[in-house]
Amino acid sequence: MERTHRPVRADETTTLRAFLDYHRDTFRWKCSGLTQEQLAQPLPPSEMTLGGMMKHIAVVEQSWFEDDFMGRGLMPPYDTVDWDADPDWEWHSAKDDTPEELFALLDEARRRSDAVLDEALAPGGVGLDGLSVADEVDDRGRFSLRWIILHMIEEYARHNGHADLIRESIDGSTGQ
Amino acid sequence: MTQTFDTSTRTEAPLRADEVTALRGFLDYHRDTFRWKCSGLTQQQLAQPHAPSTMTLGGLMKHLALNEVGWFGHTLAGAAYPPPFTDIDWDADPDWEWRTAADDGPVELRALYDDCVRRADAAIDQALARDGLDARSAEPSSKDGPFSLRWILLHMIEEYARHNGHADLIRESIDGMTGE
Repeated sequence: MERTHRPVRADETTTLRAFLDYHRDTFRWKCSGLTQEQLAQPLPPSEMTLGGMMKHIAVVEQSWFEDDFMGRGLMPPYDTVDWDADPDWEWHSAKDDTPEELFALLDEARRRSDAVLDEALAPGGVGLDGLSVADEVDDRGRFSLRWIILHMIEEYARHNGHADLIRESIDGSTGQ
Repeated sequence: MTQTFDTSTRTEAPLRADEVTALRGFLDYHRDTFRWKCSGLTQQQLAQPHAPSTMTLGGLMKHLALNEVGWFGHTLAGAAYPPPFTDIDWDADPDWEWRTAADDGPVELRALYDDCVRRADAAIDQALARDGLDARSAEPSSKDGPFSLRWILLHMIEEYARHNGHADLIRESIDGMTGE
């Protein structure tokens, strides 16, 4: 699979977006070529599954970029979930979804996040110092777009670490 | 003797900061997260893999120590590797740091790791003072010429975050401890 190239000498915005795309590509690769049953297979004692992680990462994209940063709320199917009653909904409901449905959700979330980034980082946009509409996440005040992108890179990279071990336990495939 | 880490001292990346402060904040956050994931374990526990993967927390610690002096010391600053990485025949034994970590005590591994982080930070300080995040590496990449310090810092953040993902699952399999 051809993953996003990360130029070794570039400006801040180009470099951040390339690393984010590289980890999105890597995650997609780690989840590809598996059946619905394999995507629902954990590596005990952890309960995480690749399918659950796909549905989780899609909502993480949504909650940081469209919801917190832009103040637009979440896309379907996340907009109607009772998160207080079922905080792990995306993790446990993923086993009922086909691989095609999970990839479609992930791709739609990525597309929407990129639209937010394109707008914010265009000439005349708020830029990387732009602040989130949400102002009381974790009682820490507003988040800069710079922090959100860096957080998404580490979020993806850490989940790709989980995915490395889970995937290896499913069919033996490894690789960075 | 085990390694200790006081989680109340863990660095948090600042929410609203300039590029340098944000990058160094995320790097330090992951270094601290990794120290926490390895703390409180015996030498045997640090050598315990989560099959079928052969990775261990002790091996990871020695590998990340090598990455710190490799990327920031050697590649960025052009410095020689410090002991014990000086006289290794990497062609003959490419996984040396992973393999030999089982023979090292927890305190010894942590001392090596902390020393490599200190050396890395000194190299970062020097490069920033010279040319900021556009500072070019002394050693080039294989095909694209020198790396910027910006690229190396982001690479180390992703390297740590991914290995902390491995550490999450390995640690949970050893004693059930979880947490971001």
